[in-house]
Amino acid sequence: MENKFRILVCVKQVPDANALVYLNDGIPEYDEKTVYVINRYDEYALEEALQLKDCGLTSYIHAVSVGPHRVQKALRRSLEMGVDEAFCIQSDDDRLHNPYVIAQAITQFAQQNYDIIFTGVMSEDAMNQQTGQLIAAMLGYKHATGVTELSLNNTTITITRELDAQESQMYELPIPCVISVQSSIHKPRYPSLSNVLRARKQEIAIIKHDLITSTGKTKSYFTMPQKTTQCQFIEGSISQKVTELYTILHKNAVL
Amino acid sequence: MSILIIADVKNRTINPSTLEMLSAAKKIAKNNTMPIYILIPFGNIGGDSYCSSEFKTFILDLNIEQYSAHVLVKYISSVIREVNASYIIGMHTPFSIDYIPALSVSINAQCITQIHSLDVAERITVTRGSHAGKLDHHIVINDTPIILTVLPGSFEPYTITDVQTQHITTIHIPEVNKHIYCNFITKDMKDTSLDEADVIVGAGKGIGSRENLSLIYEFAKVFPHSAVAGSRIVCDYGWLPYSKQIGITGKSIAPKVYIACAISGSSQHVAGIKGAKTIIAINKDPCAPIFNVSHYAVVADIFEFIPQFIDFVQNNA
Ligand SMILES: Cc1cc2nc3c(=O)[nH]c(=O)nc-3n(C[C@H](O)[C@H](O)[C@H](O)COP(=O)(O)OP(=O)(O)OC[C@H]3O[C@@H](n4cnc5c(N)ncnc54)[C@H](O)[C@@H]3O)c2cc1C
Ligand SMILES: Nc1ncnc2c1ncn2[C@@H]1O[C@H](COP(=O)(O)O)[C@@H](O)[C@H]1O
Repeated sequence: MENKFRILVCVKQVPDANALVYLNDGIPEYDEKTVYVINRYDEYALEEALQLKDCGLTSYIHAVSVGPHRVQKALRRSLEMGVDEAFCIQSDDDRLHNPYVIAQAITQFAQQNYDIIFTGVMSEDAMNQQTGQLIAAMLGYKHATGVTELSLNNTTITITRELDAQESQMYELPIPCVISVQSSIHKPRYPSLSNVLRARKQEIAIIKHDLITSTGKTKSYFTMPQKTTQCQFIEGSISQKVTELYTILHKNAVL
Repeated sequence: MSILIIADVKNRTINPSTLEMLSAAKKIAKNNTMPIYILIPFGNIGGDSYCSSEFKTFILDLNIEQYSAHVLVKYISSVIREVNASYIIGMHTPFSIDYIPALSVSINAQCITQIHSLDVAERITVTRGSHAGKLDHHIVINDTPIILTVLPGSFEPYTITDVQTQHITTIHIPEVNKHIYCNFITKDMKDTSLDEADVIVGAGKGIGSRENLSLIYEFAKVFPHSAVAGSRIVCDYGWLPYSKQIGITGKSIAPKVYIACAISGSSQHVAGIKGAKTIIAINKDPCAPIFNVSHYAVVADIFEFIPQFIDFVQNNA
């Protein structure tokens, strides 16, 4: 295969699964102890891109992240995993942004420069599942979401996208395109020592950006989630909880 | 001003959850006389019964095997314009989410995904989970058109009473746009252990390692007709095979009791457990979203709680 592909991976930094979010006057905030990591699905997206690099199919892989200064840590990690260059579209506004605004910022950055743009299927914090589709639509590219397998041909990519436990779709996409990667058995790699050392010396390019948070169309507020069933919290010491749960299961005739 | 519902597809036929969107649409339409339209994106998915005197139905003259997000966006956008839709409603499933948000750009409207409820007052407020499901985000809709995707299982399915096929309009698609071929691959689901169990014990990422799964197996053994299953992460890590994954991209289960161990309760996981009669969750985080859908909550470390529970049963049996 003669062609080499120019690749962009969109990497979002998110609070890790243990992060505590609380409401301060109706506005969500994370406490200072919060640890930020690469969005899980974006690690899978990075892995897919890096596997293409391993096969000698890429001319370069760039990573881009939109967010405050701290997102550089996620970009550094992307470099350590093997990405060639990293770009931070920096906005000091630290809220969960409207996906349209994020997609616009990435689209502006990506204009014409990439053959394949990878995103994760979803950001774990905002859970929009739409940024990739928006970027594709804004660039006029074709796209596929929930991708678990892909193989490159000369001018197209064959993708498999997952629908449910039983069914997936397989079809070809023309290049350029946007691919939203679903988690799968392809385990994201752990950075090698040589890559860690290389990444330490690399610069992350900063692009200043003022994100417009208000869409002009919506007003919004946050609350704690409503419980959909009457949930009974089993109280007491561990052994009291054990006894109580035993009684409940006994009543439900499964013990 | 109108409401356009875009039918969802499952197993190459119409997903019956499409009827849930009708209930959502009826709720939105309640205070005024907005007409409701249904769009069936393919001609060969059995959409003919999704029509009635109450609403008009459009069918795109495409086969499901000609699936292309790009083509759908193009023709659905023109239907949206034709019926002057203010609310465009799709299903939040892996099938539909592939193309519905892309309508946003072509009709210049915002798309709000994963809606689980909506409130109709002077203005319409939609609610979705955010911050990994730890909070609810309520969005007041001030401007239309707007695109919404609703989480399956969030609204009661509407019953279509008088099917009337004369209300169907087929939309012609030029041949050039049909030169696509999409293969559907169906996996054999031989593993029926989850369908037969009375008690299913679900393992989440909080179990920490494949070795720790033995604790979950021992826990399950306490119950006469039981099986072990897991969240997607547990299957992605290779700790359990994908045939044991519960959720929207896994199995839907309906045991007497489901016990979720160290599972956070993402909407994608919860989508698969709604059939369980009793849901019990064991999680060390008192704010874990799984408790919002559970009947009984045990706030505890599984490594402390489960061994003691097993001991207790062994000593009392
Ligand atoms: C399109 C799409 C489809 C998906 N389909 C599915 C699906 O079908 N099924 C599915 O499950 N997921 C699915 N997911 C993934 C889903 O979004 C979540 O990432 C996943 O369900 C989380 O798994 P988890 O609860 O095991 O892990 P986490 O969310 O990481 O939660 C771990 C939990 O364990 C608790 N915990 C940790 N240690 C302990 C301990 N010692 N004792 C007690 N509690 C502890 C923590 O408090 C936390 O609540 C899908 C995602 C997408 C985007
Ligand atoms: N702030 C961001 N910076 C970089 N990529 C992002 C950002 N937000 C979303 N994305 C990408 O879009 C994907 C889907 O996110 P979402 O639409 O928010 O669920 C993520 O997995 C990322 O690849």
